[in-house]
Amino acid sequence: MNDYFPELKPIDRRKFLILSFQGSLALAASPLLIKNLLAGSEARKVDLSPEILNKAIATALKRGGDFADIYVENRISRTIVLEEGKFKSAVFGLIQGAGVRVIDGDKTGYAYTDELSEEKILRAAEVASLIASSGKKVQPINVKEQKRPSYITVKIPLQDVADSKRMEIMQRAHEAALSYDPRIKMASINYYDEIRDRIIANSEGILLKSSLPLIFFVVQTLAVGNNTSHMGRERLSRHSGLEMFDELPPEKAAREAARESVAMLEAKDAPAGKMDVVIQNGWGGVLVHEAVGHPLEADNITKQTGVFVGKLGKKVAADIFTMVDDGSLPNFRGTTDFDDEGTQMKRNVLIENGVLVKFMTDILSAKQLKMERTGNGRRESFRYYPIPRMTNTFIEKGKDKPEDIIASTKNGLYVQSLSGGSVDPTTGVFNFTCREAYLIENGKKTTPVKGATLIGSCLDIITRIDAIGNDLDFGPGICGKGQSAEVTAGQPTVRIRGITVGGTRQRG
Amino acid sequence: MDYKAIAEQVIKDCLKKGADQAEVYLENSRQLSIEVRNGQVEIVQEASSFGLGLRVIVSKRLGFAYVNDIQPRSLEETVKRAVDFARALTLDENHSLPEDKEISEVKGLYDSELSSIPVDRKIALIKEVESLALKVPGITKSAGASYSEREEEIILANSFGLIKSYKATGCGYGLGVIAEKGEQKSAGYESCSRRFFSDLKPAAEIARVAARKAVEMLDPRPIKTQRAAVIFDPDVAYAILGGIIAATNGERVLQGASFLGKKLGQKIASELLTIIDDGIMEKGLASAPFDGEGVPTQRRIIVENGVLKGFMYNTYAARRAKVKSTGNASRSGFTDLPGIGPHNFYIVAGKSAPEEIIAATDRGLLVKEVVGYGINPVNGNFSGGASGFWIENGKIAFPVKGVTIAGTAEEMLNGIDLLGNDLDLNRTLTAPTLRIKSLQIGGE
Repeated sequence: MNDYFPELKPIDRRKFLILSFQGSLALAASPLLIKNLLAGSEARKVDLSPEILNKAIATALKRGGDFADIYVENRISRTIVLEEGKFKSAVFGLIQGAGVRVIDGDKTGYAYTDELSEEKILRAAEVASLIASSGKKVQPINVKEQKRPSYITVKIPLQDVADSKRMEIMQRAHEAALSYDPRIKMASINYYDEIRDRIIANSEGILLKSSLPLIFFVVQTLAVGNNTSHMGRERLSRHSGLEMFDELPPEKAAREAARESVAMLEAKDAPAGKMDVVIQNGWGGVLVHEAVGHPLEADNITKQTGVFVGKLGKKVAADIFTMVDDGSLPNFRGTTDFDDEGTQMKRNVLIENGVLVKFMTDILSAKQLKMERTGNGRRESFRYYPIPRMTNTFIEKGKDKPEDIIASTKNGLYVQSLSGGSVDPTTGVFNFTCREAYLIENGKKTTPVKGATLIGSCLDIITRIDAIGNDLDFGPGICGKGQSAEVTAGQPTVRIRGITVGGTRQRG
Repeated sequence: MDYKAIAEQVIKDCLKKGADQAEVYLENSRQLSIEVRNGQVEIVQEASSFGLGLRVIVSKRLGFAYVNDIQPRSLEETVKRAVDFARALTLDENHSLPEDKEISEVKGLYDSELSSIPVDRKIALIKEVESLALKVPGITKSAGASYSEREEEIILANSFGLIKSYKATGCGYGLGVIAEKGEQKSAGYESCSRRFFSDLKPAAEIARVAARKAVEMLDPRPIKTQRAAVIFDPDVAYAILGGIIAATNGERVLQGASFLGKKLGQKIASELLTIIDDGIMEKGLASAPFDGEGVPTQRRIIVENGVLKGFMYNTYAARRAKVKSTGNASRSGFTDLPGIGPHNFYIVAGKSAPEEIIAATDRGLLVKEVVGYGINPVNGNFSGGASGFWIENGKIAFPVKGVTIAGTAEEMLNGIDLLGNDLDLNRTLTAPTLRIKSLQIGGE
């Protein structure tokens, strides 16, 4: 939602039912989220008493059901855009709401309210309760507040930071981008931060509260060459206070975007056909996020539709391939203390040495599959019920040196960064667009190439990974699955043998 | 609740706090969504919501804030935040709100009966579509059927005394089914969206199409990497139109970030190609009497017989470009500043029946699905994954999956040599079947 050029959105085939009406009628569009809290002054804190929460849960279950929960959210956000040398716009967001859910067997009833009055919350609980028809009754346990360990530390709280400080950071990035090379004609700096307060209570007696800061910083640079232009991009994001920029300097991000823009001005047509592909460490992990991660989300398994149905405990990938989802990596963009259903975050190994060992679950799918809750029940906001989602997902590091991986690849494609892509979780067919890619010729990275797409199928690709580097790194992103979630994707340098590349040039 | 009075009060408060101009965009909506799988209701979600987006201009500086409750304290803070933010920004002479008090007449935006149609009937519709699709030979599983509807009222007011509103509805349903054969799985999806419930296509048709899409893609065969004709099915029109929409965004043009930026009045495409952006089409899913900042909408020609005729502007970009707003200020909700976007954006129908286009193709790919980002609006490069059918000697030979197509916008737009007569204006972004005479295809 923070990319300034919002038209560059991937075409997502999961959203097959899109009602794209004028303006706000776009149901598939993600409503920008929430929050309210004043910088350094009084805060409109949202709090609800355990009595109201208990009452809402009891109301939700009055017609029956196995489980009910209430999710209360309060979000304050800021977006500032610096572009063409001007601070063009600034948006301040103040949003709150609550959602009540009832699970009855395989059925879910959900209703939400913007207004946090007792009357409106009980009304939402009433509407959600209408789903129940099994006649099964559970006695909700009275909620009791619990404290949980936190994976997020903050040194400079966002609510104490003056807007001028945020703008100064943007200015630093803007200057660094424009001074990188005379061919950089424009830089667009997009700063977003938010504080999301959550209250989660359920019929199992849980009551959790947390306050979660998030920063998302995007630099886009336009390089103009003789016959072509290229927009480069770099993103920084963490659940963190403003100290994020001490560790991840804005200038460095700007120079990286600028470097990509300029490098790609020289790009030649990409080859088309099957070839060996080496993907650089970092955000390139989005390939396994899409191709392997989505099909491992347990809702695809409960529906008996996903490519991994019936594969648990079986060998699905090369021996060297281990894939992990870990929502507890300190301050990462995909990290929270507990998920949006109150399940504690942890490290989940999904595929270990090529063997499928775990699916990512939310409360409903864990119950349906009789599996553990993995802490992957996430939601975009109170307007959405939780579904299984990834957090920080990555290929575990291997033993190869990245330079050896390139050197031992005779000819192929070196993918330095990917824009993103999508997968059909039923068939496992995925596609990716390369932002920055180079030919590999005789074991060396050579000419940049433009317009390359990678395409393949999930089960095929993970058996073709034959080299994994020792240089694990991560990149931040936005994942869409009917609702958006903040994630990171990560991987070391990897090589995939024989993947279909779409380019404009026939290989000779 | 008197939302108009709230809007006017908030504007007054902004002026009192020092704003020179102020605008309130108020959205009040109701949503319902239902999901069914294997004949059982899985999810029912219902809610109504409210939101207010406030845009202020203070000494030619722009500030924006939004809020979703109408407690006086929250509104007060929203006003303060917007005005304070504006003061911190860069002066820009082009910031101004529109003054045009007219609205365009658009028929058929609001189905007053939608909310009174019982939920049970909506559930019955998707249960029916699922059960019909599951009866089709070859279909083994349902990926679920869903229904959703939305009803909303938009109120837009600004300090020039402009106050406008409209009500709109939308509803739609669809499903996904899976065909299996041995280890093979193939998914097919189909959906239908309309302003009026009674205009929705019958379940039998939606079921048949979804099932056909799944079954017909079984047993795909590989093809060689080669250049050949590529036929785009209407289902994949967006893969071409998305890039053109972005490249005709007036602000992008001003920034030098559009491959069409310097092509106004020039031939950019085959003479067969005419593109319309229509904001006033009756019952159009992207129609509205005014745009996201209150400017009356219109029907405009973007490309005429291959010649680029115009860009799209909101008020800000239009002032910068020294033209008039084209009524293309877009908002995806109260949380957004008005950007620039299309209404019902489509390629005008040609003369050929789709079957004739296939029959006229010796060797080529009929594309039924494209994945990826479409045409890159900055440089016009196109690359994406595709699936569909291989055509030989004017006949569909076999299904093809996992191939890629790539080219440049120039090559694609100029290469259009056959245009179908099968335009469906019930979609917002649509085109008839069209053929590009030659594109690079990546296969084995």
